[in-house]
Amino acid sequence: MNQQEGYADDVVKGFITWSMVWGLVAVLVGVLISFQIAFPQLNLPPYLTYGRLRPVHTNAGIFGWGIGSFMAFFYYITQRLTRTGIWSPGLARIQLWLFNLAIALAAVTLALGMNRSKEYAELEWPVASLVVVVWVIFAVNIVMTIVKRREEQMYISLWYILATLAGVAVLYLVNNASIPVSLTKSYSAYAGANDANVQWWYGHNAVAMVLTTPPLAIFYYFLPKATGVPIYSHRMGVIAFWSLIFMYLWTGAHHLLWAPVPDWVQTLAMGFSVMLIAPSWAAVFNGYFSMNGQWHQMRENYLVKFLIFGITFYGMQTLQGPSQAIRTFSAFIHFTDWVPGHVHMGTLGWVSLVLFAAIYYTVPRIYGTEIYSVRLANIHFWLVLAGQLMFSISMWIAGVQQAAMLNATNPDGSLHYSFMETMIEIYPYWHIRAMGGVVYLAGLSVFLYNIWKTVAGSKTHAAAQTA
Amino acid sequence: MDLASIYYLGVTIALFLIFAAIVARTYSKKHKARGEEPKYRMMDDDHPKETDKGGRDVRRK
Repeated sequence: MNQQEGYADDVVKGFITWSMVWGLVAVLVGVLISFQIAFPQLNLPPYLTYGRLRPVHTNAGIFGWGIGSFMAFFYYITQRLTRTGIWSPGLARIQLWLFNLAIALAAVTLALGMNRSKEYAELEWPVASLVVVVWVIFAVNIVMTIVKRREEQMYISLWYILATLAGVAVLYLVNNASIPVSLTKSYSAYAGANDANVQWWYGHNAVAMVLTTPPLAIFYYFLPKATGVPIYSHRMGVIAFWSLIFMYLWTGAHHLLWAPVPDWVQTLAMGFSVMLIAPSWAAVFNGYFSMNGQWHQMRENYLVKFLIFGITFYGMQTLQGPSQAIRTFSAFIHFTDWVPGHVHMGTLGWVSLVLFAAIYYTVPRIYGTEIYSVRLANIHFWLVLAGQLMFSISMWIAGVQQAAMLNATNPDGSLHYSFMETMIEIYPYWHIRAMGGVVYLAGLSVFLYNIWKTVAGSKTHAAAQTA
Repeated sequence: MDLASIYYLGVTIALFLIFAAIVARTYSKKHKARGEEPKYRMMDDDHPKETDKGGRDVRRK
Protein backbone atom coordinates (compact mmCIF):
# COMPACT_ATOMS: atom_id res chain seq x y z
CA MET A 1 0.00 0.00 0.00
CA ASN A 2 1.44 3.34 -0.95
CA GLN A 3 0.26 6.82 -0.22
CA GLN A 4 -2.36 7.55 -2.80
CA GLU A 5 -1.19 9.90 -5.46
CA GLY A 6 -3.30 12.85 -6.48
CA TYR A 7 -4.72 13.45 -3.02
CA ALA A 8 -3.48 15.97 -0.48
CA ASP A 9 -3.02 13.67 2.49
CA ASP A 10 -0.39 15.65 4.40
CA VAL A 11 -3.09 17.78 5.98
CA VAL A 12 -4.99 14.60 6.89
CA LYS A 13 -1.86 13.39 8.69
CA GLY A 14 -1.63 16.71 10.53
CA PHE A 15 -5.23 16.70 11.72
CA ILE A 16 -5.05 13.05 12.80
CA THR A 17 -1.86 13.68 14.80
CA TRP A 18 -3.19 16.77 16.55
CA SER A 19 -6.61 15.29 17.23
CA MET A 20 -4.88 12.40 19.00
CA VAL A 21 -2.88 14.89 21.08
CA TRP A 22 -6.06 16.73 22.09
CA GLY A 23 -7.82 13.43 22.70
CA LEU A 24 -5.10 12.45 25.16
CA VAL A 25 -5.42 15.84 26.88
CA ALA A 26 -9.21 15.38 27.11
CA VAL A 27 -8.98 11.92 28.68
CA LEU A 28 -6.13 12.89 31.05
CA VAL A 29 -8.10 15.91 32.29
CA GLY A 30 -11.27 13.80 32.39
CA VAL A 31 -9.61 11.21 34.62
CA LEU A 32 -8.22 13.98 36.84
CA ILE A 33 -11.62 15.65 37.32
CA SER A 34 -13.32 12.31 37.97
CA PHE A 35 -10.84 11.81 40.82
CA GLN A 36 -11.44 15.40 41.95
CA ILE A 37 -15.14 14.58 42.36
CA ALA A 38 -14.39 11.41 44.30
CA PHE A 39 -11.58 13.01 46.31
CA PRO A 40 -12.28 16.76 46.71
CA GLN A 41 -8.88 17.41 48.28
CA LEU A 42 -7.38 16.96 44.79
CA ASN A 43 -8.89 20.33 43.78
CA LEU A 44 -6.04 22.86 43.78
CA PRO A 45 -7.44 26.37 43.45
CA PRO A 46 -7.59 28.51 41.47
CA TYR A 47 -6.52 26.80 38.22
CA LEU A 48 -6.67 23.09 38.96
CA THR A 49 -10.22 22.87 40.21
CA TYR A 50 -13.14 20.89 38.81
CA GLY A 51 -14.90 24.13 37.85
CA ARG A 52 -11.99 25.32 35.71
CA LEU A 53 -10.93 21.93 34.32
CA ARG A 54 -14.34 20.56 33.40
CA PRO A 55 -14.78 22.93 30.38
CA VAL A 56 -11.15 22.22 29.40
CA HIS A 57 -12.08 18.51 29.36
CA THR A 58 -15.23 18.98 27.26
CA ASN A 59 -13.63 21.43 24.83
CA ALA A 60 -10.53 19.26 24.33
CA GLY A 61 -12.74 16.20 23.86
CA ILE A 62 -15.53 17.51 21.66
CA PHE A 63 -13.63 20.11 19.69
CA GLY A 64 -9.96 19.02 19.89
CA TRP A 65 -10.39 15.27 19.49
CA GLY A 66 -13.82 15.21 17.82
CA ILE A 67 -13.71 18.14 15.42
CA GLY A 68 -9.97 17.63 14.77
CA SER A 69 -10.62 14.04 13.65
CA PHE A 70 -13.67 15.06 11.65
CA MET A 71 -11.59 17.64 9.79
CA ALA A 72 -9.05 14.93 8.97
CA PHE A 73 -11.65 12.46 7.74
CA PHE A 74 -13.77 15.01 5.93
CA TYR A 75 -10.68 15.85 3.88
CA TYR A 76 -9.80 12.17 3.44
CA ILE A 77 -13.32 11.04 2.55
CA THR A 78 -14.29 14.01 0.40
CA GLN A 79 -11.24 13.63 -1.83
CA ARG A 80 -11.96 9.97 -2.42
CA LEU A 81 -15.71 10.23 -2.88
CA THR A 82 -15.33 13.11 -5.33
CA ARG A 83 -12.21 11.59 -6.91
CA THR A 84 -10.46 14.91 -6.81
CA GLY A 85 -7.86 16.63 -4.65
CA ILE A 86 -8.63 19.24 -2.02
CA TRP A 87 -9.60 22.55 -3.62
CA SER A 88 -6.87 24.38 -1.70
CA PRO A 89 -4.25 22.37 0.25
CA GLY A 90 -2.68 25.69 1.32
CA LEU A 91 -5.90 26.84 2.98
CA ALA A 92 -6.20 23.44 4.66
CA ARG A 93 -2.71 23.86 6.15
CA ILE A 94 -3.63 27.34 7.43
CA GLN A 95 -6.80 25.81 8.89
CA LEU A 96 -4.75 23.17 10.71
CA TRP A 97 -2.59 25.78 12.44
CA LEU A 98 -5.50 28.09 13.27
CA PHE A 99 -7.46 25.11 14.61
CA ASN A 100 -4.64 24.17 16.98
CA LEU A 101 -4.19 27.79 17.99
CA ALA A 102 -7.93 28.00 18.81
CA ILE A 103 -7.90 24.81 20.89
CA ALA A 104 -4.72 25.86 22.74
CA LEU A 105 -6.20 29.30 23.44
CA ALA A 106 -9.42 27.63 24.59
CA ALA A 107 -7.53 25.46 27.07
CA VAL A 108 -5.53 28.38 28.46
CA THR A 109 -8.39 30.89 28.70
CA LEU A 110 -10.78 28.38 30.27
CA ALA A 111 -8.17 27.37 32.87
CA LEU A 112 -7.71 31.10 33.61
CA GLY A 113 -11.44 31.35 34.28
CA MET A 114 -12.50 33.26 31.14
CA ASN A 115 -15.83 31.61 30.45
CA ARG A 116 -19.17 32.64 28.92
CA SER A 117 -20.87 30.00 31.11
CA LYS A 118 -22.81 28.49 28.21
CA GLU A 119 -22.63 24.71 27.88
CA TYR A 120 -20.31 23.78 24.97
CA ALA A 121 -20.06 27.50 24.07
CA GLU A 122 -17.79 28.66 26.86
CA LEU A 123 -15.17 30.44 24.76
CA GLU A 124 -14.91 34.20 25.10
CA TRP A 125 -15.46 36.25 21.96
CA PRO A 126 -11.86 36.57 20.61
CA VAL A 127 -11.39 32.77 20.64
CA ALA A 128 -14.95 32.19 19.44
CA SER A 129 -14.26 34.57 16.53
CA LEU A 130 -11.14 32.57 15.63
CA VAL A 131 -13.29 29.42 15.57
CA VAL A 132 -15.58 31.12 13.04
CA VAL A 133 -12.56 31.89 10.79
CA VAL A 134 -11.43 28.24 11.01
CA TRP A 135 -14.89 26.98 10.15
CA VAL A 136 -15.33 29.32 7.18
CA ILE A 137 -11.99 28.17 5.71
CA PHE A 138 -12.99 24.53 6.29
CA ALA A 139 -16.46 24.92 4.79
CA VAL A 140 -15.23 26.79 1.71
CA ASN A 141 -12.52 24.20 1.05
CA ILE A 142 -14.82 21.19 1.38
CA VAL A 143 -17.71 22.74 -0.54
CA MET A 144 -15.42 23.81 -3.39
CA THR A 145 -13.93 20.31 -3.50
CA ILE A 146 -17.44 18.87 -3.81
CA VAL A 147 -18.38 21.45 -6.44
CA LYS A 148 -15.50 20.37 -8.69
CA ARG A 149 -16.10 16.66 -8.08
CA ARG A 150 -15.83 14.03 -10.78
CA GLU A 151 -18.58 11.84 -9.38
CA GLU A 152 -22.01 12.99 -10.46
CA GLN A 153 -23.91 11.38 -7.60
CA MET A 154 -22.99 12.10 -4.03
CA TYR A 155 -22.47 9.17 -1.67
CA ILE A 156 -24.39 9.51 1.63
CA SER A 157 -21.27 10.54 3.60
CA LEU A 158 -21.03 13.74 1.57
CA TRP A 159 -24.58 14.71 2.55
CA TYR A 160 -23.72 14.31 6.22
CA ILE A 161 -20.53 16.34 5.71
CA LEU A 162 -22.45 19.21 4.07
CA ALA A 163 -25.08 19.14 6.83
CA THR A 164 -22.33 19.38 9.44
CA LEU A 165 -20.71 22.36 7.75
CA ALA A 166 -23.99 24.26 7.40
CA GLY A 167 -25.49 23.21 10.74
CA VAL A 168 -22.50 24.08 12.90
CA ALA A 169 -22.13 27.46 11.19
CA VAL A 170 -25.73 28.47 11.89
CA LEU A 171 -25.78 27.13 15.45
CA TYR A 172 -22.46 28.68 16.40
CA LEU A 173 -23.18 32.12 14.99
CA VAL A 174 -26.63 32.41 16.56
CA ASN A 175 -25.70 31.11 20.02
CA ASN A 176 -22.41 33.01 20.23
CA ALA A 177 -23.99 36.39 19.44
CA SER A 178 -22.79 38.51 22.35
CA ILE A 179 -21.84 42.01 23.40
CA PRO A 180 -18.13 42.36 24.29
CA VAL A 181 -17.32 44.66 27.21
CA SER A 182 -13.57 43.94 27.25
CA LEU A 183 -11.07 41.66 25.53
CA THR A 184 -11.86 38.86 27.96
CA LYS A 185 -15.52 39.42 28.82
CA SER A 186 -18.79 39.51 26.89
CA TYR A 187 -22.48 39.11 27.65
CA SER A 188 -25.01 37.08 25.70
CA ALA A 189 -27.11 39.01 23.19
CA TYR A 190 -30.20 37.25 24.59
CA ALA A 191 -31.79 37.36 28.00
CA GLY A 192 -33.75 35.11 30.35
CA ALA A 193 -35.84 32.31 28.88
CA ASN A 194 -34.88 33.39 25.34
CA ASP A 195 -31.22 32.95 26.21
CA ALA A 196 -31.93 29.50 27.66
CA ASN A 197 -33.95 28.52 24.59
CA VAL A 198 -31.21 29.65 22.17
CA GLN A 199 -28.54 27.99 24.32
CA TRP A 200 -30.28 24.61 24.34
CA TRP A 201 -31.26 24.84 20.70
CA TYR A 202 -27.45 25.13 20.24
CA GLY A 203 -26.50 22.74 23.03
CA HIS A 204 -28.60 19.87 21.78
CA ASN A 205 -27.87 20.48 18.12
CA ALA A 206 -24.16 20.62 18.79
CA VAL A 207 -24.74 16.99 19.73
CA ALA A 208 -26.53 16.58 16.40
CA MET A 209 -24.17 18.43 14.11
CA VAL A 210 -20.87 17.70 15.89
CA LEU A 211 -21.39 14.30 17.52
CA THR A 212 -23.94 12.64 15.23
CA THR A 213 -23.68 13.70 11.58
CA PRO A 214 -19.84 13.59 11.30
CA PRO A 215 -19.45 10.13 12.89
CA LEU A 216 -22.28 8.90 10.63
CA ALA A 217 -20.43 10.28 7.58
CA ILE A 218 -17.32 8.45 8.76
CA PHE A 219 -19.21 5.26 9.66
CA TYR A 220 -20.94 5.08 6.25
CA TYR A 221 -17.58 5.44 4.53
CA PHE A 222 -15.39 3.18 6.63
CA LEU A 223 -17.78 0.27 7.31
CA PRO A 224 -17.98 -0.81 3.66
CA LYS A 225 -14.27 -0.10 3.21
CA ALA A 226 -13.46 -2.25 6.25
CA THR A 227 -15.75 -5.16 5.31
CA GLY A 228 -15.24 -4.94 1.55
CA VAL A 229 -19.02 -5.07 1.04
CA PRO A 230 -21.25 -2.09 0.12
CA ILE A 231 -23.73 -0.72 2.65
CA TYR A 232 -27.12 -2.40 2.71
CA SER A 233 -29.15 0.47 1.22
CA HIS A 234 -27.97 3.83 -0.01
CA ARG A 235 -31.55 5.04 -0.46
CA MET A 236 -32.37 4.14 3.14
CA GLY A 237 -29.31 6.17 4.13
CA VAL A 238 -30.58 9.16 2.17
CA ILE A 239 -34.05 9.02 3.75
CA ALA A 240 -32.58 8.58 7.23
CA PHE A 241 -30.36 11.58 6.58
CA TRP A 242 -33.18 13.92 5.53
CA SER A 243 -35.51 12.80 8.30
CA LEU A 244 -32.72 13.30 10.86
CA ILE A 245 -32.05 16.78 9.53
CA PHE A 246 -35.73 17.76 9.43
CA MET A 247 -36.38 16.52 12.96
CA TYR A 248 -33.25 17.23 14.95
CA LEU A 249 -33.35 21.01 14.91
CA TRP A 250 -36.74 21.09 16.68
CA THR A 251 -35.72 19.13 19.72
CA GLY A 252 -33.50 21.48 21.76
CA ALA A 253 -36.27 22.60 24.08
CA HIS A 254 -36.48 19.10 25.59
CA HIS A 255 -33.65 20.37 27.79
CA LEU A 256 -36.07 22.98 29.13
CA LEU A 257 -38.99 20.83 30.22
CA TRP A 258 -40.46 22.31 33.40
CA ALA A 259 -38.83 25.65 32.48
CA PRO A 260 -40.61 28.95 31.64
CA VAL A 261 -40.72 28.38 27.88
CA PRO A 262 -44.15 27.95 26.20
CA ASP A 263 -45.76 24.59 26.85
CA TRP A 264 -46.37 23.92 23.15
CA VAL A 265 -42.63 24.44 22.42
CA GLN A 266 -41.77 21.86 25.08
CA THR A 267 -44.36 19.40 23.75
CA LEU A 268 -43.18 19.85 20.15
CA ALA A 269 -39.56 19.26 21.24
CA MET A 270 -40.62 16.16 23.16
CA GLY A 271 -42.61 14.79 20.20
CA PHE A 272 -39.84 15.35 17.67
CA SER A 273 -37.30 13.85 20.08
CA VAL A 274 -39.27 10.60 20.26
CA MET A 275 -39.72 10.57 16.47
CA LEU A 276 -35.92 10.84 16.11
CA ILE A 277 -35.67 7.17 17.04
CA ALA A 278 -36.76 6.34 13.47
CA PRO A 279 -33.93 7.98 11.47
CA SER A 280 -31.36 7.07 14.10
CA TRP A 281 -32.30 3.42 14.03
CA ALA A 282 -32.51 3.46 10.24
CA ALA A 283 -28.77 4.17 10.31
CA VAL A 284 -28.27 1.42 12.89
CA PHE A 285 -30.25 -1.10 10.79
CA ASN A 286 -28.37 -0.02 7.69
CA GLY A 287 -25.15 -0.84 9.50
CA TYR A 288 -26.41 -4.18 10.82
CA PHE A 289 -27.97 -5.24 7.49
CA SER A 290 -24.68 -4.37 5.77
CA MET A 291 -23.16 -7.15 7.88
CA ASN A 292 -25.47 -9.82 6.43
CA GLY A 293 -23.21 -12.76 5.62
CA GLN A 294 -20.29 -10.84 7.09
CA TRP A 295 -20.80 -11.33 10.83
CA HIS A 296 -17.77 -13.62 10.96
CA GLN A 297 -15.72 -10.46 10.45
CA MET A 298 -16.59 -9.45 14.01
CA ARG A 299 -14.10 -12.13 15.06
CA GLU A 300 -11.56 -11.70 12.30
CA ASN A 301 -11.50 -7.97 11.54
CA TYR A 302 -10.68 -5.59 14.38
CA LEU A 303 -11.94 -2.60 12.39
CA VAL A 304 -15.40 -4.13 12.16
CA LYS A 305 -15.44 -4.67 15.92
CA PHE A 306 -14.86 -0.97 16.55
CA LEU A 307 -17.42 0.10 13.93
CA ILE A 308 -20.22 -2.31 14.88
CA PHE A 309 -19.86 -1.68 18.61
CA GLY A 310 -19.78 2.02 17.79
CA ILE A 311 -23.08 1.90 15.88
CA THR A 312 -24.54 -0.29 18.63
CA PHE A 313 -23.74 2.38 21.21
CA TYR A 314 -25.29 4.91 18.84
CA GLY A 315 -28.43 2.78 18.79
CA MET A 316 -28.58 2.61 22.58
CA GLN A 317 -27.81 6.30 22.83
CA THR A 318 -30.67 7.15 20.48
CA LEU A 319 -33.12 5.09 22.51
CA GLN A 320 -31.95 6.62 25.76
CA GLY A 321 -31.96 10.20 24.46
CA PRO A 322 -35.57 10.30 23.22
CA SER A 323 -36.84 8.53 26.33
CA GLN A 324 -35.05 11.15 28.44
CA ALA A 325 -36.98 13.80 26.50
CA ILE A 326 -40.28 12.53 27.94
CA ARG A 327 -41.40 14.85 30.74
CA THR A 328 -41.78 12.33 33.56
CA PHE A 329 -38.49 10.55 32.84
CA SER A 330 -36.77 13.91 32.36
CA ALA A 331 -37.98 15.06 35.75
CA PHE A 332 -36.68 11.85 37.29
CA ILE A 333 -33.13 11.81 35.90
CA HIS A 334 -32.45 15.53 35.48
CA PHE A 335 -29.55 16.82 37.61
CA THR A 336 -28.40 13.28 38.39
CA ASP A 337 -25.35 11.23 37.39
CA TRP A 338 -27.47 9.42 34.80
CA VAL A 339 -26.69 12.33 32.45
CA PRO A 340 -22.86 11.97 32.37
CA GLY A 341 -23.42 8.21 31.96
CA HIS A 342 -25.58 8.91 28.90
CA VAL A 343 -23.21 11.50 27.44
CA HIS A 344 -20.12 9.33 27.84
CA MET A 345 -21.77 6.36 26.15
CA GLY A 346 -22.05 8.69 23.16
CA THR A 347 -18.59 10.22 23.30
CA LEU A 348 -16.50 7.26 24.49
CA GLY A 349 -18.68 4.58 22.91
CA TRP A 350 -20.19 5.85 19.67
CA VAL A 351 -17.95 8.71 18.52
CA SER A 352 -14.57 7.49 19.72
CA LEU A 353 -14.95 3.84 18.65
CA VAL A 354 -15.81 4.96 15.11
CA LEU A 355 -12.89 7.40 15.10
CA PHE A 356 -10.46 4.74 16.35
CA ALA A 357 -11.50 2.47 13.45
CA ALA A 358 -11.14 5.30 10.96
CA ILE A 359 -7.64 6.14 12.22
CA TYR A 360 -6.58 2.47 12.15
CA TYR A 361 -7.83 2.20 8.56
CA THR A 362 -6.40 5.50 7.35
CA VAL A 363 -2.96 5.82 8.94
CA PRO A 364 -1.36 2.77 7.27
CA ARG A 365 -2.74 3.90 3.92
CA ILE A 366 -1.58 7.49 4.01
CA TYR A 367 1.82 6.53 5.43
CA GLY A 368 2.23 3.63 3.00
CA THR A 369 2.72 0.91 5.59
CA GLU A 370 0.91 -1.77 7.61
CA ILE A 371 -0.58 -1.49 11.09
CA TYR A 372 2.11 -2.17 13.71
CA SER A 373 0.10 -4.66 15.77
CA VAL A 374 -3.40 -6.05 15.30
CA ARG A 375 -3.08 -7.71 18.71
CA LEU A 376 -2.51 -4.34 20.36
CA ALA A 377 -5.52 -2.96 18.46
CA ASN A 378 -7.63 -5.76 19.94
CA ILE A 379 -6.28 -5.06 23.44
CA HIS A 380 -7.11 -1.39 22.86
CA PHE A 381 -10.65 -2.34 21.87
CA TRP A 382 -11.33 -4.40 24.99
CA LEU A 383 -9.78 -1.82 27.32
CA VAL A 384 -11.80 1.12 25.98
CA LEU A 385 -14.95 -1.00 25.87
CA ALA A 386 -14.47 -2.06 29.51
CA GLY A 387 -13.60 1.49 30.59
CA GLN A 388 -16.62 2.96 28.84
CA LEU A 389 -18.98 0.37 30.31
CA MET A 390 -17.58 0.87 33.83
CA PHE A 391 -18.13 4.60 33.42
CA SER A 392 -21.64 4.53 31.94
CA ILE A 393 -23.13 1.67 33.95
CA SER A 394 -21.86 3.05 37.28
CA MET A 395 -23.33 6.46 36.40
CA TRP A 396 -26.68 5.01 35.32
CA ILE A 397 -27.02 3.16 38.62
CA ALA A 398 -25.82 6.20 40.58
CA GLY A 399 -28.31 8.39 38.69
CA VAL A 400 -31.30 6.17 39.40
CA GLN A 401 -30.36 5.84 43.07
CA GLN A 402 -29.78 9.59 43.34
CA ALA A 403 -33.12 10.34 41.63
CA ALA A 404 -34.98 7.88 43.84
CA MET A 405 -33.48 9.39 47.00
CA LEU A 406 -34.07 12.99 45.90
CA ASN A 407 -37.71 12.18 45.10
CA ALA A 408 -38.47 10.16 48.23
CA THR A 409 -40.87 11.99 50.54
CA ASN A 410 -42.36 11.41 53.99
CA PRO A 411 -46.16 11.16 54.53
CA ASP A 412 -46.19 14.87 55.43
CA GLY A 413 -44.56 15.78 52.10
CA SER A 414 -41.11 16.62 53.46
CA LEU A 415 -37.99 15.13 51.85
CA HIS A 416 -37.03 11.72 53.22
CA TYR A 417 -33.30 12.14 52.58
CA SER A 418 -31.08 15.17 52.98
CA PHE A 419 -28.88 16.19 50.04
CA MET A 420 -25.76 15.07 51.94
CA GLU A 421 -27.24 11.60 52.44
CA THR A 422 -27.67 11.23 48.67
CA MET A 423 -24.07 12.37 48.14
CA ILE A 424 -22.65 9.82 50.57
CA GLU A 425 -24.53 6.98 48.84
CA ILE A 426 -23.05 7.68 45.42
CA TYR A 427 -19.40 7.96 46.42
CA PRO A 428 -18.70 4.26 45.55
CA TYR A 429 -20.02 4.86 42.03
CA TRP A 430 -17.74 7.88 41.66
CA HIS A 431 -14.78 5.65 42.53
CA ILE A 432 -15.89 3.13 39.87
CA ARG A 433 -16.24 5.96 37.35
CA ALA A 434 -12.70 7.19 38.07
CA MET A 435 -11.36 3.66 37.65
CA GLY A 436 -13.33 3.33 34.40
CA GLY A 437 -11.53 6.47 33.23
CA VAL A 438 -8.17 4.93 34.12
CA VAL A 439 -8.99 1.78 32.14
CA TYR A 440 -10.10 3.89 29.17
CA LEU A 441 -6.86 5.90 29.43
CA ALA A 442 -4.87 2.66 29.42
CA GLY A 443 -6.68 1.64 26.21
CA LEU A 444 -6.00 5.02 24.67
CA SER A 445 -2.30 4.71 25.54
CA VAL A 446 -2.14 1.34 23.76
CA PHE A 447 -3.80 2.96 20.73
CA LEU A 448 -1.38 5.90 20.67
CA TYR A 449 1.61 3.54 20.98
CA ASN A 450 0.29 1.36 18.15
CA ILE A 451 -0.22 4.33 15.85
CA TRP A 452 3.14 5.83 16.79
CA LYS A 453 4.90 2.56 15.99
CA THR A 454 2.93 2.28 12.73
CA VAL A 455 4.09 5.73 11.62
CA ALA A 456 7.66 5.01 12.80
CA GLY A 457 7.54 1.75 10.83
CA SER A 458 6.64 3.63 7.67
CA LYS A 459 9.76 5.80 8.04
CA THR A 460 11.96 2.72 8.53
CA HIS A 461 10.29 1.11 5.51
CA ALA A 462 10.88 4.23 3.40
CA ALA A 463 14.53 4.46 4.52
CA ALA A 464 15.10 0.78 3.66
CA GLN A 465 13.58 1.31 0.21
CA THR A 466 15.80 4.35 -0.41
CA ALA A 467 18.90 2.40 0.63
CA MET B 1 -53.21 30.39 18.66
CA ASP B 2 -51.01 33.45 18.17
CA LEU B 3 -49.17 34.49 15.01
CA ALA B 4 -45.87 32.90 16.11
CA SER B 5 -47.61 29.57 16.68
CA ILE B 6 -49.29 29.69 13.27
CA TYR B 7 -45.94 30.49 11.64
CA TYR B 8 -44.25 27.63 13.53
CA LEU B 9 -46.99 25.21 12.46
CA GLY B 10 -46.81 26.44 8.85
CA VAL B 11 -43.05 25.88 8.65
CA THR B 12 -43.49 22.41 10.18
CA ILE B 13 -46.11 21.42 7.59
CA ALA B 14 -44.01 22.85 4.73
CA LEU B 15 -40.96 20.89 5.88
CA PHE B 16 -43.05 17.74 6.18
CA LEU B 17 -44.29 18.14 2.61
CA ILE B 18 -40.73 18.65 1.33
CA PHE B 19 -39.66 15.53 3.22
CA ALA B 20 -42.58 13.53 1.77
CA ALA B 21 -41.50 14.61 -1.73
CA ILE B 22 -37.92 13.46 -1.02
CA VAL B 23 -39.19 10.06 0.19
CA ALA B 24 -41.45 9.65 -2.86
CA ARG B 25 -38.61 10.48 -5.26
CA THR B 26 -35.99 8.36 -3.50
CA TYR B 27 -38.21 5.29 -3.35
CA SER B 28 -39.74 5.61 -6.82
CA LYS B 29 -39.12 2.53 -9.00
CA LYS B 30 -37.61 4.77 -11.66
CA HIS B 31 -34.98 6.04 -9.25
CA LYS B 32 -34.09 2.70 -7.64
CA ALA B 33 -30.98 1.71 -9.61
CA ARG B 34 -29.64 5.24 -9.73
CA GLY B 35 -30.27 5.73 -6.01
CA GLU B 36 -28.18 2.69 -5.11
CA GLU B 37 -25.34 3.36 -7.57
CA PRO B 38 -23.15 5.49 -5.25
CA LYS B 39 -22.71 2.63 -2.77
CA TYR B 40 -21.06 0.53 -5.46
CA ARG B 41 -18.98 3.33 -6.96
CA MET B 42 -17.51 4.26 -3.58
CA MET B 43 -16.08 0.74 -3.37
CA ASP B 44 -13.98 1.30 -6.50
CA ASP B 45 -10.24 1.57 -6.15
CA ASP B 46 -9.17 4.60 -4.12
CA HIS B 47 -6.51 5.60 -6.60
CA PRO B 48 -7.59 8.41 -8.95
CA LYS B 49 -6.99 7.63 -12.60
CA GLU B 50 -4.27 9.61 -14.37
CA THR B 51 -6.85 10.92 -16.84
CA ASP B 52 -9.08 12.13 -14.00
CA LYS B 53 -6.57 14.57 -12.57
CA GLY B 54 -7.49 18.25 -12.83
CA GLY B 55 -10.60 19.79 -14.33
CA ARG B 56 -14.25 19.14 -13.64
CA ASP B 57 -16.31 16.02 -13.76
CA VAL B 58 -16.09 14.56 -17.24
CA ARG B 59 -19.21 12.43 -16.61
CA ARG B 60 -21.43 15.48 -16.33
CA LYS B 61 -20.46 16.99 -19.69
